[in-house]
Amino acid sequence: MSEPDFPPAPAVAGTSLDGTKIFTITADENAALCRSTGVEPASDGSAHPIYYYIATQVAMGKTVAGVCETCEFDVDDGPMMGSSGVKFSEPLMVGQSYKVTGEILSLVRKQSRKLGVMDVLTYRLRLHKEADGSCILETDNVWVLPRKELAA
Amino acid sequence: MSYNVGDELPPFVIESVSPEAMKQWAIFLADPNPIHLDVEVVKAKGLGDQVINQGPANVAYMMNMLMAAFPGCRIESMDSRFLDNVYGEDKVVASGKITAIEDNRISCEFTLDVEGRGTVNSGTATVII
Repeated sequence: MSEPDFPPAPAVAGTSLDGTKIFTITADENAALCRSTGVEPASDGSAHPIYYYIATQVAMGKTVAGVCETCEFDVDDGPMMGSSGVKFSEPLMVGQSYKVTGEILSLVRKQSRKLGVMDVLTYRLRLHKEADGSCILETDNVWVLPRKELAA
Repeated sequence: MSYNVGDELPPFVIESVSPEAMKQWAIFLADPNPIHLDVEVVKAKGLGDQVINQGPANVAYMMNMLMAAFPGCRIESMDSRFLDNVYGEDKVVASGKITAIEDNRISCEFTLDVEGRGTVNSGTATVII
């Protein structure tokens, strides 16, 4: 197999995404979010489960632009979501405060017929209750970072 | 209520994806990416002629479909793949079917489709009923 004719992706695996922010789901915001997606908020105190993505993104240790910068990628070049997975051990609750830990798992450079050279970024975030530190969910997200500057 | 492998889940429909909701999501996500807010930016980047919905909002539609299909359920796990964009004013339909049942744990596969353009998201989930 021939060697690719582009340089390897930056070695960022293991970069910490531990956050310092505390994320609290408010009743008002949960209601607005639910209604923006066409449903009413739950009456049992649970928050919309899409807060798995919102809470971890907002309270992780880097901004979206900061994650891109770590990968030596300009956020203005348009990172694209590839996939998102989550495993919950408990539902998210309104009024509960959470904090985030996580890390970059990998950044792999590939040749794509559709996008040319691209880096595939995979990172893992965990959401913990602030009160006791217990982990209530883990999410793995994959972003595609098109490397236009490496296009043939 | 009883469920069987192969059962189709009732579709969840958004008749017209709202650009105003995208402004709310920019705040929810603390991410002011202009492709969600300014159609002129979308046009300048050659990405289309409507603002682009935030990906997690598309996941939320699929979650809504699951939660409506299984009232009172808890989503235990979910994987979503992003295949194409959803644009402002698109009509989107989330639908799915049951692929496995084990005690109170139901596995499903699902898609999010845009009227006239086909599938833009797909995935699998397990819910606890």
